[in-house]
Amino acid sequence: MTSPVALPPVVANPWLADAVVIREMVAEGPGVTTFRLAFVDEERRDSFRFRPGQFGMLYLPGVGEVPIGISGHCQQERTWSFTVRAAGNTTRALSSLHVGDTLGLRGPFGSAWPLELCDGADLVIVAGGLGLPPLRPVIYDVIANRERYGRVTLIYGSRTVDALVYASEYDDWSRRGIDVQTTVDRADLDWKGNVGVVPLLIERLHPFVHDRAILFTCGPEVMIRFAVRSALARGMRIEQIWASMERNMQCAIGLCGHCQFGPEFICKDGPVFRYDRVEPWLKVEAL
Amino acid sequence: MIEKQAVTELLRELRFTADLPGEALDEIARIASVVEFPAGTPLFQEGAENRALYIIEHGRVGLDMHVPGRGRIRVLSVGSGDVLAWSALLGEGVMTVSATALEPTRAVTLPAKEVLELCARNHEIGYGLMRHLAVALAQRLVATRLQLLDLFSEPTGTDGFRS
Amino acid sequence: MSPATEVPERVCRWLAKDALQSLFDALIDRGYAVIGPTIDQDAIVYDRITSVDDLPRGWTDTQGPGTYRLAPREDDALFGYVVGPHSWKRFLFPPLAAVATADRTDEGWRMASPTDDAPKYAFLGVRACELAAIRVQDRTFLEGPYVDPIYAARRRQAFIVAVNCTQAAPTCFCTSMGTGPRCSGGFDLALTELSTGFVVEIGSDAGSDIVAGLETEEVDSQILTEAETARQGAIDQITRRLDTEGIRDLLLGNLDHPRWNDVAARCLSCTNCTMVCPTCFCSSVKDVADLTGDHVERQRQWDSCFNFDFSYMNGGVVRNDIRSRYRQWLTHKLASWIDQFGTSGCVGCGRCITWCPVGIDLTEEVAAIREAGP
Repeated sequence: MTSPVALPPVVANPWLADAVVIREMVAEGPGVTTFRLAFVDEERRDSFRFRPGQFGMLYLPGVGEVPIGISGHCQQERTWSFTVRAAGNTTRALSSLHVGDTLGLRGPFGSAWPLELCDGADLVIVAGGLGLPPLRPVIYDVIANRERYGRVTLIYGSRTVDALVYASEYDDWSRRGIDVQTTVDRADLDWKGNVGVVPLLIERLHPFVHDRAILFTCGPEVMIRFAVRSALARGMRIEQIWASMERNMQCAIGLCGHCQFGPEFICKDGPVFRYDRVEPWLKVEAL
Repeated sequence: MIEKQAVTELLRELRFTADLPGEALDEIARIASVVEFPAGTPLFQEGAENRALYIIEHGRVGLDMHVPGRGRIRVLSVGSGDVLAWSALLGEGVMTVSATALEPTRAVTLPAKEVLELCARNHEIGYGLMRHLAVALAQRLVATRLQLLDLFSEPTGTDGFRS
Repeated sequence: MSPATEVPERVCRWLAKDALQSLFDALIDRGYAVIGPTIDQDAIVYDRITSVDDLPRGWTDTQGPGTYRLAPREDDALFGYVVGPHSWKRFLFPPLAAVATADRTDEGWRMASPTDDAPKYAFLGVRACELAAIRVQDRTFLEGPYVDPIYAARRRQAFIVAVNCTQAAPTCFCTSMGTGPRCSGGFDLALTELSTGFVVEIGSDAGSDIVAGLETEEVDSQILTEAETARQGAIDQITRRLDTEGIRDLLLGNLDHPRWNDVAARCLSCTNCTMVCPTCFCSSVKDVADLTGDHVERQRQWDSCFNFDFSYMNGGVVRNDIRSRYRQWLTHKLASWIDQFGTSGCVGCGRCITWCPVGIDLTEEVAAIREAGP
């Protein structure tokens, strides 16, 4: 046999999901549910670790598989959180499950937010819509290690007030030293908060020491582009900005080709990228 | 009553005026006042005449428009560093929105007539002010377009076997 | 670009033409399923064969952009053609395969790996461009952060009998890609066909093992010269060229070039090129349940970036016109692939040119973009 690259005698199957059971389902808002999942297999439960920004593939046999950011605390040891919006067949089917039901989980996959670069830095977290879940592990790390970070600001926007996810936690986050600023695209007159898009809050950030800051962003691609535009206009450099990108991810292991964004495989080269790596591709229409 | 020195310092801090030269800041401070609006106070009404430009120092002001049959709709809120009532300076002074303080708000206010006179007298200061206004309005225009794109709306495609 | 790099000195033996069957028998004896060229539906395809008689003796192919026909030869050469619509990827990376299973039990869903009786293949008739293509797919399926177990199981066991081309089709451009026509490595045995038999080059211990059980003779320098002359014929017949100088930056720096509109007007987005391409690896996964719904198989099947919903995301399709999909295919194949895997994704086999219904020629498209300047 012309043996190719040296292969181990047994190759692990990266397509194989672990069985997980739903321990809790929390309604976060219209159509949005957070699942707390526990591994059925104890060994797997003990060995599963994820870094902030990584995602898992939630698998509902007979229906399909979806990539969902892992949105809990990295130091979690017994259950893992996934916040899902019911938008298509699989996510709708997931949302109609119950506590005690089982499904599959593959992961964790992808690159992580570079927390190691944030020592002593001001951190600006910019999220839109369902872009907040993959950033929540960062917030939890800030809270657990507050002295490591400088000023920390969360700028979070969504369509309407009831679409702001994790709203019940904002007060706690504020108490722990995070400046939580929210905004919505539309609201009724009862809402005394911000109305307008996320980039406006970046423009208003004060105080803002641009070369002391690192920015993490996740949300709709257009929001990311204009948020970064505002950040750069305020003097930040592109090397200080990190974005979590999204494309159609099916295999999560860099083999199916769907998630390519220019030469980048979002599933394995990303989803978290330093912005200069994705900036040239963001300018191209229908890439 | 806030002293002119303090007003100048305030103008030096505000995004809108921060990088204007000292002479310009002094001239503007001469015609500026500082106003406080408790939460719930209206600044001006849609359709009414208002001859003052506002630069928000801190706080939040909601901007609403009235649509018959739909009522009053909040279109935007402005906050720290934002300019408000630009049509006092650029238009006929008839407001296109109603503005209400949503929380305790402090603003620098400039009478439009005097600002225009200052600009006419001193073109350098005029250029600086107008340039800043143009940039502020351009930012607001981009922001409005983004709001129009409704980026967080639910996906509407036919799903079939999609996730 | 010149033909494939320095070929190491290897042991060669002479196998008479009427002794070729013994090679089949030796492989079958050792439990291999021999896959080789055979005629089906007026084309030379790769399929399970057991005898020399299954080979396209005395046939050749005439190929051009959008055209493929078989024609009789004047001699009875067994390998007197180049490549057809099949490539070896359909055996190493099967068009349809189960990747996982799920069963509903009393304790809930339980997932498992499918039992994979990976066939033990002997590929007979692998051309130099195809050896290169297998190497390209090795990088994708075996050398990334995740290894595909299906490809690994088949690849690990595969026995490769390469064949050196002694002619070229008008669509071939392996010389531009540095992949041929000479087989330089990555085989167990390599054959060069002459009128009365084969020069058999031994490329591995497994190959040596097989040859030891065959009736072979020593080769003399005259035979070796004849073989060299025969192989030179392939080089001389190659007319198509792809200029790969700076091709990565040329394509990725010209994503708004008007030529994309031009090719989009001709391209049908039919996916033929991706199906016949020996390095394309895109796939999609879907669940198939039995009638009870209690047993589910997760199946991977070939997909193509030309399929309309390949880039579907959040209610819409990102590449929603032929222009962007063709651009994706070509820039991936010739440019992004280099960033991703360190080599080009193209081996110069020319299949995409032949099997395109409208005869789009990627060498022409690249030349047009290069000529019109950045």
